[in-house]
Amino acid sequence: MGKLTFNEARHLVERTGIGAEWQTIQRFQNLNRQQAIEFLLKNRDMRLPRPPSMSPWSRTVSLRNNMRRKKMIMRISRDEGKKLQTWWVKHLLVTRSPFLERMTLFWHNHFPSSIAKTTQPSMLYQQNITLRKHAFGNFGQMIHDIARDPAMLLYLDGYVSTKEEPNENFARELLELFTIGIGHYSENDMREAARAFTGWGIDDRSGTFVFRANDHDNGVKTFLGKRGNFKGEDIINILLQHPRTAERIATKMWHEFVSIARPDMRIIKQWAQAFRGSNYDISTLIRAILNSDVFWGRHNRGALIKSPIQLTLGTLRTLPYSPAHIDLAHNLNIMGQGVFNHPSVKGWSGGKTWISTQSLLRRNSMMNNLTAGNLNERKNRGGIAKKMPDVSPELLRQWLLAIPPLQAPPTTSGKQRLTRAFVLDPAYQVL
Amino acid sequence: MHRRDFLKYAGLISASATVPLLTPEMVFATNGARQNKIVVLVELKGGNDGFNTLVPFTDELYYKYRPRIAIKQRQVLGLNKDVGLHPRMKALMPLWNAGQMAWIQGVGYHNPVLSHFRSMDIWDSASNSNQVIEAGWLSRVLPKYKKGLHGVALNKGQAQLGPLASSNLNAVTMQTPKTFLSQIKRISDVQPSRLNPAIAHVSEIQHQLFSTGDQLAQKMGRNPKHSGVSFSKGVFGHSLESVAEMIINGIDAPVYKVTQDGFDTHAGQRGGQDNGLYQVANGLASFQKSMQRAGMWDHVLVVTYSEFGRRAKENRGGGTDHGTASSHMILGGKVRGGIYGEHPDFSRLDANGNVTFTTDFRAIYATLAQRWWHQPSPWGNLGHLPFV
Repeated sequence: MGKLTFNEARHLVERTGIGAEWQTIQRFQNLNRQQAIEFLLKNRDMRLPRPPSMSPWSRTVSLRNNMRRKKMIMRISRDEGKKLQTWWVKHLLVTRSPFLERMTLFWHNHFPSSIAKTTQPSMLYQQNITLRKHAFGNFGQMIHDIARDPAMLLYLDGYVSTKEEPNENFARELLELFTIGIGHYSENDMREAARAFTGWGIDDRSGTFVFRANDHDNGVKTFLGKRGNFKGEDIINILLQHPRTAERIATKMWHEFVSIARPDMRIIKQWAQAFRGSNYDISTLIRAILNSDVFWGRHNRGALIKSPIQLTLGTLRTLPYSPAHIDLAHNLNIMGQGVFNHPSVKGWSGGKTWISTQSLLRRNSMMNNLTAGNLNERKNRGGIAKKMPDVSPELLRQWLLAIPPLQAPPTTSGKQRLTRAFVLDPAYQVL
Repeated sequence: MHRRDFLKYAGLISASATVPLLTPEMVFATNGARQNKIVVLVELKGGNDGFNTLVPFTDELYYKYRPRIAIKQRQVLGLNKDVGLHPRMKALMPLWNAGQMAWIQGVGYHNPVLSHFRSMDIWDSASNSNQVIEAGWLSRVLPKYKKGLHGVALNKGQAQLGPLASSNLNAVTMQTPKTFLSQIKRISDVQPSRLNPAIAHVSEIQHQLFSTGDQLAQKMGRNPKHSGVSFSKGVFGHSLESVAEMIINGIDAPVYKVTQDGFDTHAGQRGGQDNGLYQVANGLASFQKSMQRAGMWDHVLVVTYSEFGRRAKENRGGGTDHGTASSHMILGGKVRGGIYGEHPDFSRLDANGNVTFTTDFRAIYATLAQRWWHQPSPWGNLGHLPFV
């Protein structure tokens, strides 16, 4: 198999990263497909910047039990939440392992827990660490860990679920969103699952998972046709045996890496089989996707819509524009992809929903602001053009756009002007 | 006789007649806007507690179930012998007295879903509880009713199209017409591309911006008429002020959608819901005044909706958990004021402690389709309500 062409390399970089960095594209042109995919899977820098200081659970838990202190909790979590958002956004902007961040974002969106509901940013940070630990690892292990994750126990009210008053929130979403999906279970299955998770709580002092045997329902449960004295772990294992779980993850990955169009179910079933066959090894699933014909197919170039993170941070990672004076975390919030700030437990719907009239105007204004400035290169001493690789207008187009531009190029010459025109073209919104 | 001749003739006569014949409706008609039946959808996000909104103040069980959060009998603004308004909705009492306020009680659906987003999907799409329909319910009514712009959804953050979401509806989201107009200056029109579904969607939305943008620029670009009344500060008041201004300046959308947040009152309900209802009532009172002045009040229906109501009994945190049926309000110059539908029976709660609905929410949609827009109802078998 030959080495990647420029277009293939940029496709792989942009689809698995945040933006289309020139240097990575150059590096991938020296590799064949297999080598490039292995490079992506193996070369991961797990280091993180130091997190902001956040109030531990042991400090906030006493405030939580006091109704009058509710406002104080809200204020603390808002301030700390903003710092936590900025912490991740800054890292997304500079990381040398963008694929790791993309996968962490993918799982962050599969298992969302928001600042607004949990009001406990310190736990969301811990959850983020768990997600990135398993990002390319084992999905089964990840879902077991997430079920016991304090932020998730808070987010879906699992921590207050007792045998006397089982809370259905987590059980419902576990079935509906995290695994097999609506239509594959009954309300009774959901209620029985909720019983199995009773007694799962958060320790007041350590802020970590605790099993409270007194609150746990020890009775026999009937779940998806099976009967037994199930605990929460048993419910998760039964769900992992169900073929729909792998199919739903494979479908989500299709929309993350291939196209916003409806997937070909034969391909989904192939990927899901590979996934289950490997006992839910995420790297195996990713290899199957990145090696597939549909991933590389020319008709799927530009078939995804950039998320606000890909659009905004991707532009800043690709081109030498300056984000000075722009609050990126805040802008991601108003463009609909605030990190740790999902609109609901469904996460960001992505795809077409990234673009509404309101958000398109905002996205365009953001790109306008980033690319604004003196376009007269003589007066501007070359502007950003001097910091960009020396490329022909045609190669510049192939680098920045996955599909041909929809608007005619500017009649006045100048690389900075041409770059701006490409960034503002509707074709720049897709990848 | 040609229509224009008739109007000229009518105008001549009016000079000598004691009653001016050119009513506001006719002025509206001459502006070329035939479609002058507007619905303003008010989304109460989070699941509004209908029992503390339209209060059953003579029901002993109500006070028994809610020892801490019930509205005291003497504070209720009585509408009839059984029900009355939350005191923070006082600003709307003149509309009740004028017979321009209707309430529908016990609104819900079979097999209620207590998940916020799933239940809102059901309301948005008018589906059955166990059925998934992608398109908003208005897509089954409006395309036949008119061409061009179908609706505008307004909110500060990301406005959701909700019932207006559909590929066969021409609907836009915005914060205000002013932001829309200022941001649209920085983007250019584009011919929709069919290369793939992603760029097709992006380019269609970008193109769609311009037909709406053109209309907004023409009618509101320079010296737009203002609402003429002051609106309460806050997102909801601002959104309604924008709606009023768009209507007054002749934007031809038949539907506007505005949202008040904060009705997911699991704890401390009296603080949160009271404030939400206050915002809603004051915003709508200003909106009504503005429409009245513009001669448009007879052309507008205001309709509230929410994903579900709340549990009959209060919880330990002075709040209420997710429930089922709720009461919803209709306002408008042409509304037949009154209380419609049966109040749910507090003595018959289900296993979750929830009431049973008495009116299917789609009966409201059917009424809007049939009796307001004069379109066939896609929910014919559910009947309709004579509130308009």
